[in-house]
Amino acid sequence: MTTGFQRCGEFALALLLLLLCAAFRRTLEADPVTHMLVQLPALAWAGWLFAGVASVRRPRLEAAPTNAGGGAGLLIVFFGIVFWMLPRSIDGALTSPEIEAAKFLTVPFLVGAPLRLSWYRAHPILRGFLLSNALSMLGVLAWLYMAAPIRVCNSYLVEDQQRLGLAFLLVALSLAAIWGGRLFFKPDGGSAGDLLPDLKANGSTSYDT
Amino acid sequence: MSMTSTAAPSPQTGAVKVAMLISGAVFVLMMLVGVLMRAAQGDLLDLDPALFYQLMTAHGAGMVGTAGLSGAAIMWYFLGRHVALTRWVFHIFLALFLLGVVLILGAIFLGGFGAGWTFLFPLPAISGGAWDLGAAAAFLLGLVSIGVAFLLFYLEAGRAMISAYGGLGNALGWPLAFGGSTENAPPPTIIAAATVTVFNTLGIVVGAAVLVVSLINLYLPEFAVDALLAKNMIFFFGHVFINASIYMAVIAVYEVVPEYTGRPWKSSRIFALAWASTLLFVMAVYPHHLLQDLVMPGWMLIMGQVISYLSGIPLLAVTAFSLIVYLKGSDIRWDLAAGLLVLGVAGWSVGSVPAIMDGMISVNKVMHNTQWVPGHFHIYLLLGEVAMAFGFMAWLVRGDVAQSRFTTLDRLGIWVYIAGAGGFTLMFLISGALSVPRRWAVHMEDWLTQDRIATGFAVLAVLGALIFVLRFVGGLGRSSKA
Repeated sequence: MTTGFQRCGEFALALLLLLLCAAFRRTLEADPVTHMLVQLPALAWAGWLFAGVASVRRPRLEAAPTNAGGGAGLLIVFFGIVFWMLPRSIDGALTSPEIEAAKFLTVPFLVGAPLRLSWYRAHPILRGFLLSNALSMLGVLAWLYMAAPIRVCNSYLVEDQQRLGLAFLLVALSLAAIWGGRLFFKPDGGSAGDLLPDLKANGSTSYDT
Repeated sequence: MSMTSTAAPSPQTGAVKVAMLISGAVFVLMMLVGVLMRAAQGDLLDLDPALFYQLMTAHGAGMVGTAGLSGAAIMWYFLGRHVALTRWVFHIFLALFLLGVVLILGAIFLGGFGAGWTFLFPLPAISGGAWDLGAAAAFLLGLVSIGVAFLLFYLEAGRAMISAYGGLGNALGWPLAFGGSTENAPPPTIIAAATVTVFNTLGIVVGAAVLVVSLINLYLPEFAVDALLAKNMIFFFGHVFINASIYMAVIAVYEVVPEYTGRPWKSSRIFALAWASTLLFVMAVYPHHLLQDLVMPGWMLIMGQVISYLSGIPLLAVTAFSLIVYLKGSDIRWDLAAGLLVLGVAGWSVGSVPAIMDGMISVNKVMHNTQWVPGHFHIYLLLGEVAMAFGFMAWLVRGDVAQSRFTTLDRLGIWVYIAGAGGFTLMFLISGALSVPRRWAVHMEDWLTQDRIATGFAVLAVLGALIFVLRFVGGLGRSSKA
């Protein structure tokens, strides 16, 4: 059970992440690898933590009937990710203060937060499918960035995007090892971490139906 | 609304019967396509070469897909005895599978796609006018649909096993294999199903990536594909998938044969170790498909050869040897199901011998593009996986075991099938040894005799298969009772 101390800690960590992303904005955005694979995930993580704190204060947030099975929230996450995967959006964030501000708002609150509020309500098979799909599509993205015959972002060089492609591949392999490993070696036996967090040893499951 | 759902394990007989009916019908249909191809090679039939390659593509994709479907149905049925499965997942699996089949058949017979089931880059994109991009895209999308179907299937199987056994490591029997702990040791079905779930999920994820890459490349060829990387990914996916179909089907042997022998198939430490090594070998051995790709790193080719030797040991030493031990001295009363399941293990074992030979670099240099290759994979599919699937079908509609009989028609069917499939595959091996090339629509005069003999044997195999399928259809109202 989340204690008040943990809640404060999560809130503080979320704020810290937002502040660090803003304070080191130029450094992180100077390189597409840190822009895409450090700043954007950190912003989403901040949103995830905010949603966790908010749902403790407002339990209805996590049980909203409009988000049955996590479908609505996951769709918001999907469109949020799709928008910020577009090279045009990344370019815009680098050249327009308005789009940069939108990034700092939408990635935490249209990606991280709805993900936290929807993930555990989704059926385990949907979760597994999304994670498997994320792995194979990270592999495809890696290829796309390494094989693209043109600069996909005006703000970054071809060599940069090729490094980004390689980084995507490393992320895919690392996530496959981490997620897969937890399925094998989870010590408590009944649960398998974020992949299948609510499976009980007696075969029952708990999620939205 | 959050709620808890608990279900007791119970096999999903109705849906599995539908899957096996589809499998049996497609097996026979695709065998007929095979007869047409061998007859055309033997100059007994005038077949346009373009149509030959379309039929070859349909035959390959159809047989691999149906082997997967029948294996999956067997695994789902028996897994349902041990763990609580979400039943609608199998319905979605079947629906997505059939959607994929429609797309693939449309691509081949409406669009003229004939690049072979392996869709090797850059053939789908460069057809020389034989088919357009839409046909290639439909074929690839069909494979994606089937891949998604299997992904959902394995996710549910994995979820159910993790839930019941507390992690995949336990379901794989690793505490038994590496610690010798017999406490809560999973039954053979769980160990086999968990192994297949792990390696085939990985294979499907890799396959999905290369399929999407190929689709993008179809329409945006300036996004170049590394041909060697694509081939590695395709053969990893393909090798793992077809092996999974056999490993899933063998679950029927573990579950059904004890009903005949009265001796339960136990999970011993050697059994668990064999499957643990299979998990590694089945994924590491795939470079033996690329022994003619000289640009491959040398260590990978050597690994492919060495692991080809090793991968036969768990198969031969554990499953086949255990089967002999269980059968020896048992008071088994043979019927069609028992006969076909035992035949399946025998065919699988025998087929691995020419396969291991072909996995040797020095042999492969000479034999790779000959009919030796279809020779070995037809043995362990036609006399292995397909025989096990037919055996499971016969068992599924067997009815009361006390009234089960090995009828004259059953005996005729099984012997006709063995003679037909055995002769047919032997002719492939003989033709391969005589350097007759594979995948050629038109054969030289000197090769026609083997082709014609093989056609005759193929007709016998189809007749045997037809008896099994008709017998299954006739018994659909019955269920197996121990």
